[in-house]
Amino acid sequence: MATALQDRTAVRREGRPPAGSGAAPLERQHRRIFWPFAGPALLVYAVLFLAPIGYAAWTSLYKWDGMGAKQWRGLHNYQVLFGDPAFRTSLLNTLEILVVGGAITFAISLALTLVLREMRARLFARSVLFFPCLVNAMVFGIAAGFLFSPDGPVNTVLHWLGVAAPPKWLATDNLFPMIVATLVWTATGYYTAIIMAAVDQIPEYLYEAAELDGASAFQRFRHVTLPLAWDVISVCAVLWTVSSVKIFELILMYGGSSSNQPPVSTWNTAMYVYTEAFPQTSAPQLGMATAAALVSLVMVGVITLALRRLMRRTAVEY
Amino acid sequence: MNSKTKTARRVVGVATAVVLAAGASACGSGGAGGGAKAGGFTYWSMWRAGEPQAKVIQAAIDRFQSDTGIKVDVTWAGRDVTKKIGPAIAARQAPDLWDQGADAVYAATAQAGQALDLSDVLGMEVPGEGKKVADVIPAKYLDALPKDPNGKNHYIIPYEVSSAGLFYNAADPDLAAAMPTAPATWADFLKVCDALKAKGRACLASDGELAWENGLTLDYLLAAGGVDFSALSSDKSGASWDNPAVLTAVQQVEQLVKGGYLLGGYDATKFPAQETNWSAGKAAFYSDGSWVTDEVAKQVPADWKMGAMLPPGATNADSMLFGFSMPRTAKNVAPAQKFIAYFQQQKVLGGISTEAGNITPRSDIPAPAVLADVQKALNSAPVRLTYGGVAGSYPTKVFNQNFLDLWHGKTSAEQFVSTMKSDQVSFWKSQD
Amino acid sequence: MRIARAVVWVVVAADLLLILWVFLTSLRGSSDIFAHPFGLPTDPQPGNYGRALNEGGFGRAALNSVLVATVSSVAAVALAAPAAYVLARRRTRTSSALTMTFAMGLGVPGQVLVVPLFIGLAQVDLTDSLFGLILVYVGLAMPFTVYLLTGFFSGVPAVLEEAATLDGAGPLRTFLQVIVPVARGGLITAFLLQVIGAWNETLFALVLNHSENKITLPVSLADFVATEQLNGMDWGTMFAGVCLILAPMLALFSWLGTRIIQGMTVGIGK
Repeated sequence: MATALQDRTAVRREGRPPAGSGAAPLERQHRRIFWPFAGPALLVYAVLFLAPIGYAAWTSLYKWDGMGAKQWRGLHNYQVLFGDPAFRTSLLNTLEILVVGGAITFAISLALTLVLREMRARLFARSVLFFPCLVNAMVFGIAAGFLFSPDGPVNTVLHWLGVAAPPKWLATDNLFPMIVATLVWTATGYYTAIIMAAVDQIPEYLYEAAELDGASAFQRFRHVTLPLAWDVISVCAVLWTVSSVKIFELILMYGGSSSNQPPVSTWNTAMYVYTEAFPQTSAPQLGMATAAALVSLVMVGVITLALRRLMRRTAVEY
Repeated sequence: MNSKTKTARRVVGVATAVVLAAGASACGSGGAGGGAKAGGFTYWSMWRAGEPQAKVIQAAIDRFQSDTGIKVDVTWAGRDVTKKIGPAIAARQAPDLWDQGADAVYAATAQAGQALDLSDVLGMEVPGEGKKVADVIPAKYLDALPKDPNGKNHYIIPYEVSSAGLFYNAADPDLAAAMPTAPATWADFLKVCDALKAKGRACLASDGELAWENGLTLDYLLAAGGVDFSALSSDKSGASWDNPAVLTAVQQVEQLVKGGYLLGGYDATKFPAQETNWSAGKAAFYSDGSWVTDEVAKQVPADWKMGAMLPPGATNADSMLFGFSMPRTAKNVAPAQKFIAYFQQQKVLGGISTEAGNITPRSDIPAPAVLADVQKALNSAPVRLTYGGVAGSYPTKVFNQNFLDLWHGKTSAEQFVSTMKSDQVSFWKSQD
Repeated sequence: MRIARAVVWVVVAADLLLILWVFLTSLRGSSDIFAHPFGLPTDPQPGNYGRALNEGGFGRAALNSVLVATVSSVAAVALAAPAAYVLARRRTRTSSALTMTFAMGLGVPGQVLVVPLFIGLAQVDLTDSLFGLILVYVGLAMPFTVYLLTGFFSGVPAVLEEAATLDGAGPLRTFLQVIVPVARGGLITAFLLQVIGAWNETLFALVLNHSENKITLPVSLADFVATEQLNGMDWGTMFAGVCLILAPMLALFSWLGTRIIQGMTVGIGK
């Protein structure tokens, strides 16, 4: 059996001495089942996840409409990509969502944690704020067309409040900020919930001690909450990096529909990949699409590494 | 180390094969390519099952099946069929027949040489009528289409023809007063708008984020000035934009914007908010393809009388065909072609007019009453392609955003022309 | 602080109003919606739901969504749990390298995989197939599910297994009868999160499937919206479709909300 062979080679390679006598049978058992247990998941992962990444990288070196023959282009696709204003817009928008949207999301999430901590019915509020992230984002795109139209509900309410000239919410220039705002609104609840849970783990006596020392609410947040929840916040930052780069259906529906592309000024790289690979009225450009996809992958990689490095510090024990 | 990686590779290899084989056998019947029984054919439709055209086509399929015994395996795939067809061809799973607009058919298949030449169908007889398909479909429709790499443009056999224009309610008293006769020139049209404005009515409703629909007026005005959009957009040097006739047409559009003739809030709505406002009588005109009559059919008041005209100055209506096409890889060619010809029968195709409320390519099938004006325009003169049949990503990447800036009053006519010129140059550089 | 609290309550109220608005709108007639977007269903149209389920194609799509979401989630957890268990237990270089490999998948945005998976599945005749979509969702779920469950299993004390092993239980039995019951909470959480993800997934669903009997709810909604061009749209019916997408999430969340939130948090905190 391949697995048995596998196992023996593993032993030989690792050459680990057996651990303490009590743990030995268990250790041996874990070693024996390692590949049978991890193998299937690894296989599915390799076939449906890792191999496609490699295939994408390979495709990105060709000009290909998916039907005819592939033409070798080497890195030329990437050159063309960065020369394409639509891609540059998409890339900048992706970065804007990631950085600006991220900064706002985390600022609000932290503020919310601070507010919710000392609020009645906090769990109810948290649940309601959390819910939008369980909703398919297309719904928000569709709803926005109604809610923010010039004589729609939002402007009606603003009118009652005495706002004479409400902003042109859905003007092409405002679409992208609107998308970012919607995203911030949905993501805030999610990250607030995560950070709140981390904050709940912080022992109460630390706060009591800080209070006795005369620390204000903000000081308690700055010197107790923030440092102790830092690890979770840094994981959240990495999560945000990935999830913000793959925003898709929100943009698709906000400014268009699946058969009517949204304006380029609202695209991100996911949208760019989709329109290049599955265009409505032109031939697919699979080479360009995969090249754009790889650029976003590299971007996520670089930013994740940078974030981990920037946010790393010694863990606080408590 | 070595033996380990080798084994690992073997394990992965075997398992991959198992997964793929399991997948293939579990769903082997899923593909469309082999789905058709002997003698039948497969068809992917651009319509969804509930839509009127789908009902007409389904009725035709039912009759066709009982008349000929040929089984039609239909999938109501919706508009996204355009995105699916190319990859399906590549994977040899494409259907034998599909339908879409001629522009989509060209973009997705014909321009890559992946569409079957349907000249044979034109030579086939329309069952029971003693005429050939070529006799009932005016040649001008197909002649206007762009050619594929083999120099053929018979890659679509239309069953529905649309044309763009300005649509209005002829029963609107304000409009009737402002426009006793159709304006002959652009200046006359602006006078109509002024008269409406004097009564506190907006001239044009526009869903401001739609570049294609709103740009139709520019397309017509360019054509009126003798400029073909296709020639204009395909000039890699951008020099085509220096033609003074281009600037004139752009300035005419600018007059609409600057003159305050557009229904307020147009630059901040999402389709179809302003179309709905138009159908509620808040503005006189709406620029769109002739399918607009279907889009608003359920909303317009009972006394609405649909009228249509070309933007004044323009003389030739544009034509947008919707019809059947076949991938080059189609396996069941004969039965599918038989169905295309079958569908051209007056009594079958008539449903597109009577049931689905659209114009058919046959001039002997009267258009629905709301589209009578449009059919007259289509029948009376040679037709041209909307936007000169421009294909590819040019509209998204060059035209749309710049046009919307002009349309929203953010750029002047001169600025529009100069940015279009420079953006066009850089676009073509990125295309080879 | 008081202002901040007020702001929070305003946002909470707005969220609730939005859900209420979507629901009320789903009961209204099409032209009525545009004329008075904020109105109440004075003339309720429950028929919107019937139309959405039948002609709108949302009924079949809802069934497909349920099928795809549950099957893919069960499969993902069934595959990931044993792997996560051994990855959490073994402390060898191979094991940590594998853990790392899975974790790196977390950083891959879906758009990287969409073209290759589409082409690959088309080659083996698995596009426009529910099985193909399920496969894709299982693959996409691997990194997060393995990552999440590794965290859970690390928290399960080894003492339990030692006792079982000393009693002579085989590894599979130990896993199924000792470990799984203890980690049940984690498995259910992983399953729930996967169901939520699969239920809302749009990009792959849109790209891979198109036949009306093989699409899931998000595609059905996107297609329905696409018909507004050329044939106009029945807005009431569309909002009924939106409610069909929302309702299960709302139900799941009111029932298991705390567990979902905790699950997301615990997995990430580790």
